[in-house]
Amino acid sequence: MEATILEIQRMSTEDGPGLRTTVFFKGCSLHCNWCHNPESISPRAQVHWIENRCIGCKICLEVCPQAALSFTEAGNKIDRVLCNGCGLCVEQCPAGALELLGEQWELDDLVAELIKDKAYFDKSGGGVTLSGGEPTLQAPFAGRLLQQLKNLGIHTALDTCGLSPWPAMEGILPYVDLVLYDLKVMDSHLHRAYTGSGNEKILANLMHLRDVMVSDGHPRQLWIRTPIIPGATDAASNIRDIGRFVGTHLNGVVSRWELCAFNNLCRDKYRRLDRDWQFKDCALLGKLSMEKMAAVARNCGVDPDIVHWSGSTLLEAGAKMNAA
Amino acid sequence: MTAVALSTVEHGLKEPRGLSPRIQWLRDYYFQGTERAWNNEFVAWTTGTPWDVQFNEITFYIVPETYTLLQTLRGSFRQAARKIDLHPDFWSWSLVERRSWFIKQVMVNAMPKEVLPGDLIAGGRFNIQTSMCLTEKEQQEYDQSVLGKNGARSRMKWFHDHGYGNAGATSGHLIPDHARVLKTGWKAVYADLESRYGALNARDKKGPRGDQLRAMMTAATMPRELAAEYARLCHKLAADQNESHRRQEFLQMARNLERISWEPARTFWEAVQALWINHMLIMSDENYPGPGTSFGRIDQYLLPYWEYSLSHGMPREFGKEILKCFWVHCNTAYDAMIRNGNQGITAGFGQLITLAGMGQGGQDLTNDLTYAFLEVIDEMTPILEPKPNVRLHRNSPDKLLECLVDMIAVSQGSPFLLNFDERSMAGMILEARKAGISHLINESTVYDYAPVGCLENTMVGNDRSGTVDNNLNLLKAVELALTGGKDLLPFFNPMTGQEEKVKQDGPDTGDGAQFKSWDEFWQAYVEQTGYIIHKCVETYELSESIRAKFSPTAYLSCLVHGCAEKALDITRGGAEINFTTLEAVTYATTVDSLLAIKYLVFDKHQCSMAELIAAMKDNWQGHEVLQALAKNKAPKYGRDDDQADAMARQVMDLWCQETWKYKTASTNRQFRPGMLSWNYWAGDGFVMAASANGRPRGEFLSNAICPSNGADINGPTSNANSVGKVLGGRAADGNGDWQDYLNCLPNGASHTITFNPSIIKDPEHREKFKAFLRGYCENGGTCLQVNMLDADMLQDAQQNPANYRHLLVRITGYNAYFTTVGKELQDEVICRVSHGRF
Repeated sequence: MEATILEIQRMSTEDGPGLRTTVFFKGCSLHCNWCHNPESISPRAQVHWIENRCIGCKICLEVCPQAALSFTEAGNKIDRVLCNGCGLCVEQCPAGALELLGEQWELDDLVAELIKDKAYFDKSGGGVTLSGGEPTLQAPFAGRLLQQLKNLGIHTALDTCGLSPWPAMEGILPYVDLVLYDLKVMDSHLHRAYTGSGNEKILANLMHLRDVMVSDGHPRQLWIRTPIIPGATDAASNIRDIGRFVGTHLNGVVSRWELCAFNNLCRDKYRRLDRDWQFKDCALLGKLSMEKMAAVARNCGVDPDIVHWSGSTLLEAGAKMNAA
Repeated sequence: MTAVALSTVEHGLKEPRGLSPRIQWLRDYYFQGTERAWNNEFVAWTTGTPWDVQFNEITFYIVPETYTLLQTLRGSFRQAARKIDLHPDFWSWSLVERRSWFIKQVMVNAMPKEVLPGDLIAGGRFNIQTSMCLTEKEQQEYDQSVLGKNGARSRMKWFHDHGYGNAGATSGHLIPDHARVLKTGWKAVYADLESRYGALNARDKKGPRGDQLRAMMTAATMPRELAAEYARLCHKLAADQNESHRRQEFLQMARNLERISWEPARTFWEAVQALWINHMLIMSDENYPGPGTSFGRIDQYLLPYWEYSLSHGMPREFGKEILKCFWVHCNTAYDAMIRNGNQGITAGFGQLITLAGMGQGGQDLTNDLTYAFLEVIDEMTPILEPKPNVRLHRNSPDKLLECLVDMIAVSQGSPFLLNFDERSMAGMILEARKAGISHLINESTVYDYAPVGCLENTMVGNDRSGTVDNNLNLLKAVELALTGGKDLLPFFNPMTGQEEKVKQDGPDTGDGAQFKSWDEFWQAYVEQTGYIIHKCVETYELSESIRAKFSPTAYLSCLVHGCAEKALDITRGGAEINFTTLEAVTYATTVDSLLAIKYLVFDKHQCSMAELIAAMKDNWQGHEVLQALAKNKAPKYGRDDDQADAMARQVMDLWCQETWKYKTASTNRQFRPGMLSWNYWAGDGFVMAASANGRPRGEFLSNAICPSNGADINGPTSNANSVGKVLGGRAADGNGDWQDYLNCLPNGASHTITFNPSIIKDPEHREKFKAFLRGYCENGGTCLQVNMLDADMLQDAQQNPANYRHLLVRITGYNAYFTTVGKELQDEVICRVSHGRF
């Protein structure tokens, strides 16, 4: 049994409790226009080129059966129509400048990889997080994987955008300890404008999830995550609406609501995928803005103790100098 | 743009804090360096004979930077040496007695004595270069064996110039039995020596055993006589002192000094004063300022005095004030060559203290004094000496970890080495078995081990294991296996401007280009590994035998169990436990080179062996594709990749097995394996030819047990797992050497991981970092050093050194002021993989 996996990140500290290994599944049911993992959206394998690694040997041009590659003034141009992600160029590139995004993993190999850090999971209350992309799009694999991890005594988390057929999600919940569930925008029209889909299904799935948690006592924990995107999700009214929803429908079920600060470290990823990014010139949020946002969140009917914020913020000018 | 998208941690330089005016003054004064009126620079002393020599260059053979200075230092100390009037019988005594008497004469009667303003500890100048006390004939013999055509110096230089590494019998690097001397006083040491001497028969009394014990008796009264001199000085200072509080301090110091070190210490102040005198005199006795002369489990053996004084009215803060004075004293070791620049700081010193750790039965021994030490470190940092190594284990209290992580968070991670008990103790049990000394190191004693210098594990008070004496580049065996036993490139002698002809040196294992299979190549590598280890052992033997013959240290011998019992000087193998350590350098570069050869030539057929050898000879110039393949496509050690790590394990087993085969011929010390690379991996990167892993000449080699630079792409846990695996991991059947732990490197292995400071940005992340340390205890190595630095700050420090004078970074097992290390090492620190992707 195989799945298309984008990346396995060990000693991950931002995807649930403790130290974790995060498995990024390839393919997403949303395409949020601020996405900081744009390479995870397409379910297909893709090739990208990392300029500063390239030694200019042009071996890739010779081996590509589709003639999809060409060197221009802007560097190695990948024709996204011709390229079928076969990965021959990646295999032959001596410098590792061409990378294949999305590799096939056998279930057993993946389990073997994930148990390597069990000692750190055990000491930290950590474990494995399935993220993406949207892991429930490869639900049969994800379920088997989670089941095996549970059999090995490993804490499991599912990081989901919520847009998936309910049966797909329901099937894997028995093997999930913690769900990280995204609520981005409460206005469905805006949600559609930003992510390509309305949020009705997402909210409905969340209600199903709540019911399962209440009736089965499992998954044990639910965290809500809200990306704070300048000019998109960061309106106080949006935060309040999410807060009211959580306060009304999920009271006592949600143990944490995390506001995740906009991240612009993915700028180069867009460029390498030959995609423009509307947030490319957008600066990080200031620490103060995030604190303000958290204050709004604490003040709209949820238990204020569950509100956290995370992520990189603008380092205020001069802070470093003063400290030195 | 000043906005930096790295983290919200506003990461600044650690400043000392909470210092009293007294300590602030002493600390500031110390950092004035060469501008100080007072310093502890080497003072040289002579017997007055025309052939007399002071400088014992052998102890610097492991410091390649000094090679060009050896002759100058020898000459300049001779020229500057002042004469000591000799005892009329001096030349009728044995060498060990002459030397013991001479050093005592210098320290008690000749060296000036001062107490700095506010200082609570007496014992200032201890850096001396004393006459070797040789007769003309002895001096000729010494000079012949050191400077002669095939003497130790030229053999050692050849060994280094041709990329093998370095070896030399080095002083320091042990932990004396301070606990015993504090408890019983020197009078008990003296009485013991006297009774042993009395028990000798008439013939032995006249022979070397008698000589040794008499010399040790002379040395055993040195601390008392020196303390008496300082007591007199304190009385005089008290009499001249108008301010009554300071006068009282001088009077108390005088009372302390009149009692110790002859009598047992009673109070904390007495104990620290006695400890300081006992310690500084070792540096005098060896003419060697500090390196590796370590204190062991100081928070354990000082605890009774700490508790006694606290319960008798000593304010806790005053106890810390005493320790802070002790701190300043330790740092003055660096004054030895203060005029050589960098305030004399060579960054190579390590008067190590050990804190916390496991006790008998696995209980934790962290105590109030442990925390007092940590507070002192926190308040004094940044400052280099003494260096702390904190022992962690499965039952280490959360409070201790919390405290460490807090301190790491504010001080660039620099103040600590973290030693891991279970893995370390497994190695100590292994060495006991290998050397047949399980009666000395076993399950009921091993918990009392402590690291020396940086992280080199030894027992305490009875052990000299030559922890830095042999530093061998394992990579040389790969080179010799490719060429059939010759240097890949001719050696260019910068002194003569001549290129030497390449000669057959190692065994002729055949032309590498003709090998048809990986197994053939591996066999050649095996043979060459045996050869380079043998070569290292032979090179070392020269200096070991010269030291044994000409450089006795009677005072140090008094402080190490076994020497009195055997009536044998420590330099002749007197210690109960006597190893010498072979520290493998370039481990990951070696493993990665072997992996690259196997991958490129035999598995993937990317090139022929002849092409690979040609590329290396050309330093990869014109072979960029092959170099890129070697760097990027060949597997690497340090990624928790079981196949690559299996090769690493094979390399480890091989060189360890070869190392255990040897003992020193002159002193019968068993060789044992370890991995500390000090700074060699940087400097020798310019000496060694290009390597098959894609590294050109001039690029750094790998450091100790760390993965090669840039190889470590799967994060800190995978890095740590690889390290634990190659040390032996955990025994599948549960029967390890300590519980189920295995460790093939009893000396320990230096492992540095650099983290981005955001890993400890808030309490939740600090918990995660603590958990990482607990996980490391399960899966990792013997010793971890954590750097918390972001590359931006280092680059700024490189460009604006004046703003970062006190920035400490960890190089390999030791801290250094970043701005005082060379550009190459600075670059290396900057380009280390910095973990913290979010």
